[in-house]
Amino acid sequence: MASSTIAAPAASRRRSWLPRWLTAESALPWLMPVIALLLAFGVYPLLYAVWLSLQERSRITRQFEFVGLKQWGIALTDPRTWDSFQVTLTYTLVCLAVQVVLGMAIALLLDTERRGYGLLRSLMILPLVVPPAVTGLMFLLMEDAQFGVLSYYLKQLGIIDPANPLLANNNTALIGVMLADIWQWTPFMVLIFLAGLRALPKEPYEAAAIDGASAFQAFRLITLPLLSRVIAVAVLLRSIDLFRVYDYIYVMTSGGPGTQTETLSFYAGRLFTLANFPYAATLALIVLISLNVLAAVFIKLFKVRF
Amino acid sequence: MRSNPALGILRDVCAWAIVLLFVFPIFWWILASFKPYTAIFNTTPVYWGFEPTLDNYRVTLGGVSRLSLITDEGAAGTVAGGGSSYYSIPSIIDSVIVALGSTVLAVVLSTLCAYGLSRFRFRGQQNFVFWILSQRMMPPIAIAIPIFFMFRDLGLRDTHLGLILAHTLINLPIAVLLMKSFLDDVPVDLDQQAMIDGANRWQTFWLVVMPLVKGGLAATAVLCFIFSWTEFLLSLQLTTQIRTIPVKISTFVTSTGTEWGFITALGSAALVPSFIFIVLVQKHLVRGLTLGSLKD
Repeated sequence: MASSTIAAPAASRRRSWLPRWLTAESALPWLMPVIALLLAFGVYPLLYAVWLSLQERSRITRQFEFVGLKQWGIALTDPRTWDSFQVTLTYTLVCLAVQVVLGMAIALLLDTERRGYGLLRSLMILPLVVPPAVTGLMFLLMEDAQFGVLSYYLKQLGIIDPANPLLANNNTALIGVMLADIWQWTPFMVLIFLAGLRALPKEPYEAAAIDGASAFQAFRLITLPLLSRVIAVAVLLRSIDLFRVYDYIYVMTSGGPGTQTETLSFYAGRLFTLANFPYAATLALIVLISLNVLAAVFIKLFKVRF
Repeated sequence: MRSNPALGILRDVCAWAIVLLFVFPIFWWILASFKPYTAIFNTTPVYWGFEPTLDNYRVTLGGVSRLSLITDEGAAGTVAGGGSSYYSIPSIIDSVIVALGSTVLAVVLSTLCAYGLSRFRFRGQQNFVFWILSQRMMPPIAIAIPIFFMFRDLGLRDTHLGLILAHTLINLPIAVLLMKSFLDDVPVDLDQQAMIDGANRWQTFWLVVMPLVKGGLAATAVLCFIFSWTEFLLSLQLTTQIRTIPVKISTFVTSTGTEWGFITALGSAALVPSFIFIVLVQKHLVRGLTLGSLKD
């Protein structure tokens, strides 16, 4: 790691028997603890997963045997993997779209100095502190076909058919899970977008108002471009977690009915519990690789700098 | 432009309606924790007109045995549960130890790392940051298995320290990015001035820069605390004796039925610390969560 300080006038005066890259005047010692921890508990598990994905448990000896890319071949032809990939993608894209749009709308609504909005902004972030597993249970109770308060009102409104409970139906089960995700994470978007909105300069809006621009035009031509980096960061962070969704599905549907709500992460988890470690590791790596590629493209495209 | 009072009132109504819609599930959840069984399992929603009870809290937090409640109340509630333990104070203690431990560790490590990233430039820095971020891209279930074997060999299985390390690992990427964004706000000139005045790098970091990012530090700490407090999968896989609150709650879903009363009671209790913390640091959190993308 070739380091160069921005400027460190005192460093030259200090006598040191250590090479420069080992002193506090270079980045390495500051990064070292994190690097060590990530190597031990991040890189090692990764290498282990790669190793696992190249093995197969022998039917006879019950020992792992090296089989090359066989698991990867299975993964590419396994229809269940493709189904779960599709579920994952649907889940990620729908939740992301709803959370971004809804989050932006609510942020715009709450971004005002009117009285009482400070309290509203505090209340809005409440869902963020609920453990996801608890959120899942919460929505499970609310979506219960017989006793659920949400089911009750949706039935009253005629949105769902009493004979077709939300979570037990092939077509709506995923929506039932997404509701929990959207409820929990839209506030995250609101929080981030509000921060962005509050930091916007006032002048362009005054100029636009003089030029007779409508509120919508001002939003589209001034707010959106100025907020693009904030939106990009929010989308990046959210996509990473959405793509790996596990807790809600584990608690609410266990992937069912059938495999209708089985995401890649959940399929991998199920294979782990069935002790098919090599294949589970392969699927986990597919998640990792997909996310790496998506994130790298995204960062390039939107010029996110850390 | 905003002087129209009717529009203002419309805005207020919309804002309150939407926010209350988002608060409703939590309200409903807390309400359920005070309900007797018959009120939870009612085909039409019950808002009032039930006899509030503290039984769910007495069992989960007070250590009253569930069986004694059943004999008190007759048959109500006998549908669910077996002989498993619902007393959750040990779980709360476990959660507090793990959350505090991993918060301290994550904040200390990430602050050092973020200072290094913020004050020095080196080749491949962007890639290094991406590498840290990519630690978050692995499905937790895939990390759980190797770490499980690793902890077994190191004797860390079923220890607080093991879980603290695992949660620290999960928290590090966000914590580093957050702290870096806060540290980037402190002008480098300050460091240089301090060092011209004779302070060494460590003194500069500790006595000059740190006091200026206290708020950011608090926000990062709260976020780490909440992530650890709410984390489910690793706690579930890595420990059996130690049960953090989310794992404990999930054990109330038994093969013979789901103990909604106890689930809602413990779930409600678990919200209290996180909510207090998050409101305290809300302002800094808002700044930090954008990872510095608000500058210029």
